Order: sequence, then structure tokens, then C-alpha cells
Amino acid sequence: MFLLSLSRSILFAIQSFWRNIWLSLATIFIITLTFISINFLVIISAVSDSAIEAVKEKIDISIYFQQEVNETKVAEIKSHLETLPQIKSITYSSSEDNLANFKTKHQDELLIQEALKELEKNPLGATLIVKAKQLDDYPEILEAIDNPAYSDLIEERSYDDHQVVIDRINAITENVRKGGLIISGLFVIIAALIVFNTVRIAIFTHRHEVGIMKLVGATNWFVRSPFIIENIFSGVIACVLAIGVVYFILSLIQPHLSSYFGGAEFNIIGYFNSNALVIFGSQLIGIIVLNIISSSLAIGKYLRV
Amino acid sequence: MIHLINVTKKFNRQTVAVNNATIHIEPGEFVSIVGQSGCGKTTIIRLLISEIKPDHGQIIIGGWDITKIKSYQIPLLRRQIGVVFQDFKLLPKKTVFENVAFALQVSGTTRGRINKIVPQVLKIVDLEDKLDRYPQELSGGERQRVAIARALVHRPKVLLADEPTGNLDAINSKEIINLLLKINDFGTTVLLVSHDKSIVNALKKRVITMEDGAIVQDQKIGKYVI
Ligand SMILES: Nc1ncnc2c1ncn2[C@@H]1O[C@H](COP(=O)(O)OP(=O)(O)OP(=O)(O)O)[C@@H](O)[C@H]1O
Ligand SMILES: [Mg+2]
Repeated sequence: MFLLSLSRSILFAIQSFWRNIWLSLATIFIITLTFISINFLVIISAVSDSAIEAVKEKIDISIYFQQEVNETKVAEIKSHLETLPQIKSITYSSSEDNLANFKTKHQDELLIQEALKELEKNPLGATLIVKAKQLDDYPEILEAIDNPAYSDLIEERSYDDHQVVIDRINAITENVRKGGLIISGLFVIIAALIVFNTVRIAIFTHRHEVGIMKLVGATNWFVRSPFIIENIFSGVIACVLAIGVVYFILSLIQPHLSSYFGGAEFNIIGYFNSNALVIFGSQLIGIIVLNIISSSLAIGKYLRV
Repeated sequence: MIHLINVTKKFNRQTVAVNNATIHIEPGEFVSIVGQSGCGKTTIIRLLISEIKPDHGQIIIGGWDITKIKSYQIPLLRRQIGVVFQDFKLLPKKTVFENVAFALQVSGTTRGRINKIVPQVLKIVDLEDKLDRYPQELSGGERQRVAIARALVHRPKVLLADEPTGNLDAINSKEIINLLLKINDFGTTVLLVSHDKSIVNALKKRVITMEDGAIVQDQKIGKYVI
């Protein structure tokens, strides 16, 4: 009985969709624009978040030990540092590893290669690379490393503060985000008004039919469902169009993203693929809820029988 | 079957469309309501299908007190009452068959049952050979017969007819009234609102006369006096 009503409603909706094709197209157009602008916001957020992540990922403290400090001593310091709650990871790299890395890094530079050959001993000490859990944890970790007990063992420690870069990314994206939010807000309002009016006009033009429906005992849901289904139909088409446009835009910006991140991989298309259900699903649910509200209001207005 | 007890309906301060009216109609009766234009006849019909609610009084149909009926129950009420109007209220883009089937569709009747019931009721109104016509291809009398067929699909206990012959000539009017009598013979309670003196007098059935919203006369075998 429910399925029967549903199939009749769908049939009715398709007829009505074609009968008011221009209104249907206008509705689809504006919902598509709304979806695109909302997805634009999603893209901005995703890109800036992962940009900041990428920069954060680069932040660490490198501790360069004196050449003569032996492996056990370094391991001791490492395990001592690891007791700090702020530490996320510590990577040990022996003096041999460092030499090997240094050699490969400078393999084209004859002068350096020559100089290394001259040396009998490995000039490089071991290193520890320390990553904190959070950006704010670094000062405390630095303090722990600057312990006088270690000062004879440590040749140098380096910490590059990337806060400036992070602030800059935040500032840029914040502005874009604000603009996008305003545009999306406008589109949402326009879409709401158009959807509301589409339903209203549809019910108004069918008021004779709807009046007769109610006279012979149709429930409000029976009367309303074709109009809602018709608009959900538009919503689904708009969603599909928006997905097409969004993926097209994504494919355009994807190549530029890698250079923006200075080589760090960020796959925006992959991001959309894995979150597609949430991103597009919530937008579709939004449009359906909007439909139900506006059709209820319109029916209440025209159908007090 | 139909009970109105001290029912009053005002549209605003000046217009009291129904004024303290009490009517009791037993199952199987055929009752005519007559009276001058604007005396409140249509308002009675609208109260009975709960299109409007009374300001005072009580309305009971088939044992169901609909005075304070919930809006979600109204569709159920309307499936138990058949109504026809002067202007037929047919859907112009649907055929005769579809117009009648429509009333069954809204209550979720299966296609199989629709295909069985619709020809049956169209046979009662003698239109079984015009299933595929559109309303504009029918005479006024035929259109009203389609409307009556539609009112019958739910096998209602009560049929309300608000000036069903108002747009019809004498011959067609006679046919419609005969049809209503035939439906009444099946056991359906019929409430007929009419302007037409000759029709009401020829019926020799109960007549209720209204004046300015009030019931002024109720005769077992009545005559249209005013
Ligand atoms: N929606 C409304 N708003 C205000 N007044 C109304 C409304 N509907 C009816 N009326 C008034 O109520 C009174 C009764 O109207 P009703 O339609 O019941 O008369 P009627 O007896 O059916 O008349 P007719 O024989 O012309 O059809 C009239 O005075 C009419 O003007
Ligand atoms: Mg009237």
C-alpha cells in the first residue's frame, strides 16, 4: 500500500517535472550553484587544513651529537627524552648512517667528496630527530634538551620555527573561507526561496486537483508527496551535476596543489572520494529537508479544506 | 445516521450561516434540504465533510462524533461519505475511468481492485461504455453521473448531494434524481440540497426547510413551500 502510493507519486512527479520544465531547470540550476559553492568551501577547508598539516609535519628538533659520543649514551638520552609526555617520536640515526646520507646528498660535488676521502675518521656524530605531539610542546622539549648534563655531548641542536608560515596560511585561507561562506550563505537563501516557491507554484497551479484529492479522502502526505518527490528529483539531478563540476574543478587544481605544498603529496580528489558520502549526502539531505518544510508550508497555505 | 445538535456556524459577526440547527436523519432515509439562496444549505454540507468546524453544537455521523475531529482523521471521514456538487468537480485531464479510479488511488487501493470496482460503479450510473471519454466530451448529466460514481466507490453509508441538478436541464435532472433514488434503495442515506421546487415536490420524501441559517420546517412527506 505504501509502495503503491509511492510509485503513483513518482509517476505524478515525473509528469509534473516535464510539464513545468523551465521552472524545473531553474530550480536545478540554482541548487547546483548552491551545491558547488558549498563544495568550494569544503575544498578550501581541506586544502588549508592539509597545508597546515604538511608544514607541521616538517617541524622537528634535530640533535647533533659530538662525534665521540657512543651509541649507548645516545640511546640513554633517547630513552630519557621518551619519558616526556609531549614527545611523539624520536628517530635515531647513527654516525655511519649520517655519513652515508651526507655522501649521497653531495655525490656530485667533487670537492666535498675529495675532502671526505682525506679524513680518516667519520667527522659526523649521531643524531636524534625529535617530533612533538603538538606545536606548543616544542619549547618544553627544547628546555629538556638544553639540560646542562647534556651540553658536553651535544654539538648543536636546530629548531626552525614554522609558526610564521602557519600564520600566513591561516590568514590567506581565512579570508577565502569568509568570502566563500558569504557566497554559500547567499546561495542557500536563494535556493531555499526558489525551492519554496517552486513547491508553492506547483501546489497553486494544481489547487483544483489537490482540492478534489482532499475531497475524496486523500491524506496530506498523499497530496504532498508528489511535489516533494518532484523536488527531490531536481535535488538529485542538481547533486549529480554539482559532483561533475566539482570533480572537474578538482582535476584542474590537483596538479597545482603539489607545488603549493612544496612537494608534499596532497590528493584532493582522493579526499573527496573517501568523504563523498558525507559531503554530498549531507547536502542532499539538506535539500530534502528544505523541500519537506516548504511543501508543508505551501500546503497549509492553500489547502485549508 | 446523521445528527446535528444545536449547531451554529458563524463566518464573522454579521453572517450566521447556520443558526442553532438540529437535524436527525436515520439510516436509509432520503432527505431534501431546501431554502432560499444564502440560507446555509451548503454550509451544512461543508460541516458534514468537516471542511469547516462548527462554533457550537455537536455533529455525529454513523456514530462518529466529528465535532472536534483531528485533521489526520478527516481523510478517513471523507472516504466514508460520498459528496457531489453542482459543478461536478471532475479532473479535466483524466478520463471517466481515471476520475473514478482516482478516489480509490488516494486510499491506496490496488490496481486489481480498482479495475474491478470502477466498472461496477460506472455500470450503476450507466456509463460503462464511456470509460475513456474526457469530462469535456460528456453532457452535463453524464458528468454528474461520473461524479456520483466517484462518490460511490468507497461504498459510503451516506451520500451528500449539493444541488446536483443545478447545472442540468429538466430531463437530465430527472435522471440524476432517479439515480439518487436507486442509490437510496440500496440502503445508502441520501441528503439532497435542492432549489428545484418541482423535483422536491415530486419526490414525496422528507423535506427540511431552512431560513437564515435556522431550521424552520421538517416534514415527513414534504413540500417545497417557500
Ligand atoms: N467562507 C465564507 N465566508 C463568509 N461568509 C460565508 C462563507 N461561506 C458562506 N458564507 C455566507 O454564509 C451564508 C450561507 O451560505 P451557504 O453557501 O451555506 O448558502 P446556500 O444556502 O448554500 O446558498 P445557495 O442556495 O445560493 O447555494 C451566506 O450568507 C454566505 O454569504
Ligand atoms: Mg449552496
